[in-house]
Amino acid sequence: MAAQLFVVVIGCGRLGAHLANRLSRNGHGVMAIDVDKRSFGALSPDYSGFWTEGDATEMSVLKQAKVDKADILFATTRDDNVNIMVAQVARVEFGVRRVLARVYDPHREAIYRHLDIEVVSPTLLAADQLLKLAETDGPA
Amino acid sequence: MTRTPVLIVDDEKNIRMTLSRALESLDLDSDTAINGEEALAKLKKKQYDLILLDLRMPGMDGMDVLRKVRETRPDIKIIIITAHGTVESATEAMKLGAVDFIQKPFTPKEIREMVSNVLDRGSNEGGYDEHVESARKSLAGGNLTAAKEHVRMAISRDSTRPEALNLLGAILERQGDWLEALKQYRSAAALDPAYRPAAENIDRIVQRHERGDNIDLGESGGSGKKGS
Repeated sequence: MAAQLFVVVIGCGRLGAHLANRLSRNGHGVMAIDVDKRSFGALSPDYSGFWTEGDATEMSVLKQAKVDKADILFATTRDDNVNIMVAQVARVEFGVRRVLARVYDPHREAIYRHLDIEVVSPTLLAADQLLKLAETDGPA
Repeated sequence: MTRTPVLIVDDEKNIRMTLSRALESLDLDSDTAINGEEALAKLKKKQYDLILLDLRMPGMDGMDVLRKVRETRPDIKIIIITAHGTVESATEAMKLGAVDFIQKPFTPKEIREMVSNVLDRGSNEGGYDEHVESARKSLAGGNLTAAKEHVRMAISRDSTRPEALNLLGAILERQGDWLEALKQYRSAAALDPAYRPAAENIDRIVQRHERGDNIDLGESGGSGKKGS
């Protein structure tokens, strides 16, 4: 991500806040959305983006957050269903060029791909990593 | 070339940072102030060309700053920053002389485009003739917003000459408002009856409408319904 982009992050939990902080530190414009305003406490003091309290499954919340202007959208709520819905709306309704989502349930990955949404499954990542570790000799 | 001095006034740190960062690539000389009082203090020390001003701030708010700046430094351009859903106060600020407003949240691109537009939009220097010429060029290039701004500047410099009003008519006509356009052409002709372009524009519009090209008279002998 070279140029200065406008990035929307849905869900400001551990992952969302971490992403928002790093993106902001790298000079991008960031908009964080979460249903619970307390979650914005996880944004770092040097976070220079915007945040708004609201339900991202509501069109008005997405509109107000200027999702239509987003270069990238990250869907990182703890609910796979919310992520898939918001990601799809961002892609189809708002025409966001790149939509990336976190999805816990590995079985849902296929659905996302079908919808042109890039996904990362922490479950799969962790499983791969754990299996890889298990194949080594382990700590001495 | 010296860098254009810009002052960013907002009580929220994240907005100040967002704005400063967004403007970095425009190579402006930007300073920040965290409230109205600090803004006025900085304005006394330095000649700013542009202020990005938040309306809602504790203590002296944006509207107060706007009024004060208008009294002392009417040449400074001011862009208002406003929260979502507070267009009314932004409109109020525009009446007080702010050149434009932007609603939070904004993307870096939006803010850059607005700032460059406002800075490009007819510099405050230049006389009537320069602005009329710039308005003609903008109009020829299809940039109605810039053309309008130049016309406004031209009229503010000399309101007794017909060219600017004639151009305003042309802009309105381009926007499809021929009735309002006609009014402006007539004002131009009233200022200087010998100014041919206004007279010709009036004739052209009047003839077009007197010929009744656009008037539906209905069909003779019919009930008004389309029949076979």
